[in-house]
Amino acid sequence: MQFFQARNVMEAVERAGPGSYFLAGGTDLALQLREGKVKPQVLVDLSRVAELKTLNASGGCLEIGSMMTFAELGSSELVRTKANALWLACQSMGSPQIRNQATIGGNLGNCSPAADGLPPLLALGAEVRLVSRRGEETVSLAELLKRRPLLQEGTLIKGFLIPDQGWKSGFAKLGRRRALAIARLSLGIAVKSEGSRAKKIRVALGAVGERAFLSEALAEMLEEREMDETWLEAAAAGAQQVVASALGSRASAPYKQAAVAGVMREALASLAGGEELNGG
Amino acid sequence: MVELELTVNEKTYKLEIEPDERLIDVLRRRLGFTGTKEGCGEGECGACTVILDGRTVNSCLVLGVQAHGRKIITIEGVGDRRRPHPVQRAFVEEGAVQCGYCTPGMVLSAKALLDKNSDPSPQEIGVAMSGNLCRCTGYDKILRAVQRAAREVSGK
Ligand SMILES: Cc1cc2nc3c(=O)[nH]c(=O)nc-3n(C[C@H](O)[C@H](O)[C@H](O)COP(=O)(O)OP(=O)(O)OC[C@H]3O[C@@H](n4cnc5c(N)ncnc54)[C@H](O)[C@@H]3O)c2cc1C
Ligand code: FES
Ligand code: FES
Repeated sequence: MQFFQARNVMEAVERAGPGSYFLAGGTDLALQLREGKVKPQVLVDLSRVAELKTLNASGGCLEIGSMMTFAELGSSELVRTKANALWLACQSMGSPQIRNQATIGGNLGNCSPAADGLPPLLALGAEVRLVSRRGEETVSLAELLKRRPLLQEGTLIKGFLIPDQGWKSGFAKLGRRRALAIARLSLGIAVKSEGSRAKKIRVALGAVGERAFLSEALAEMLEEREMDETWLEAAAAGAQQVVASALGSRASAPYKQAAVAGVMREALASLAGGEELNGG
Repeated sequence: MVELELTVNEKTYKLEIEPDERLIDVLRRRLGFTGTKEGCGEGECGACTVILDGRTVNSCLVLGVQAHGRKIITIEGVGDRRRPHPVQRAFVEEGAVQCGYCTPGMVLSAKALLDKNSDPSPQEIGVAMSGNLCRCTGYDKILRAVQRAAREVSGK
């Protein structure tokens, strides 16, 4: 196996070819190497690529470089105010040591069913910036997650763009990574409101099926309504329906269907952020 | 083999390692810092905690090559019997050490916290220590030891 430490995105992409893997924090990859689950010919280390370690708000977007760690994002005031759901996910992800090392780009690259970064990013309407020798592409995370495989060979996740349009967002999860798959569940939600009325909603679920996904049905059910007690109940019941239809007859279905109501309530209670801008 | 240059406990080392060699193996086998312990080997227990550029990491999940050009503190760089760090003294005084296997990692997590925040709340201490498991002592003793060390460090 060869090792290459890239100094910029161009170098990284040029060295990425058949049998190559990008190395970010290594919290997934180090174990997979050890267990022989992946056998890279080339390991392309991204830790020195300053362009990927950026965080800024400009042009109506919060832009997050793929090499930002969960600890960095979780201690950022900018992330807390512009992307509360993601900020919350960063607090509960892994342990302090894992958060210090694990990156948001690696979370998408590894794309486990229970990847904590993905439901918040989906709810926040994030776009993903990809780059490869073939060129650059910006694609919504929701679309990207429908692709198989997720990334074409040699494709680098450069970063995420989160539109800054005054949405509030929240996140809640159940279970740790090592808990039985059956006991894991996460939910990200973002709401664009006018007074007490929900105008637009995005809801995403994690650990319900193979990859995190946005539920358009649930969003439609909750839009253009007063956010009162009845609405909260509808949100909890709606989430149960979505989980039931996503899991079908799988063994985890009854448990997750029951649990998601509480997770939804918790996520709604955590809604915050987005106050600065109105009407965007 | 890949060339690696890193600083451990303020001393710089140059060596050659395999690209898939873990930092814990570089520290223990190649450099002899055997105070760093391997528990689970998969990021769950924190026994292998070291401080990398000021932040705690699990050295069983870091590849040696990722430490190139960076600064590491292991338990050997924190203090010793003759000159213990306030955290080490507090662990002994509070009876927070039994078999001792988890202790190096615990001490490093506590030190990293106090280096940044010398007056942490009990909750902040709980979070900072949450990636370190202990099979022997109750966590109460460990948390009390960190509080005690914090009082000493902050002079309160
Ligand atoms: C003890 C433990 C607890 C954990 N707890 C959680 C948890 O609570 N929630 C959670 O979501 N995850 C958890 N994880 C999983 C892991 O930490 C995350 O998935 C993390 O975000 C991976 O990021 P990384 O930077 O370490 O990625 P790496 O391990 O470096 O890479 C992961 C994969 O993504 C690819 N990749 C990395 N960066 C890029 C890029 N920029 N472009 C293209 N491909 C890329 C790599 O090639 C590799 O295939 C845990 C892991 C451990 C060991
Ligand atoms: S040995 Fe590294 S976390 Fe357990
Ligand atoms: S003292 Fe034995 S594991 Fe903590």
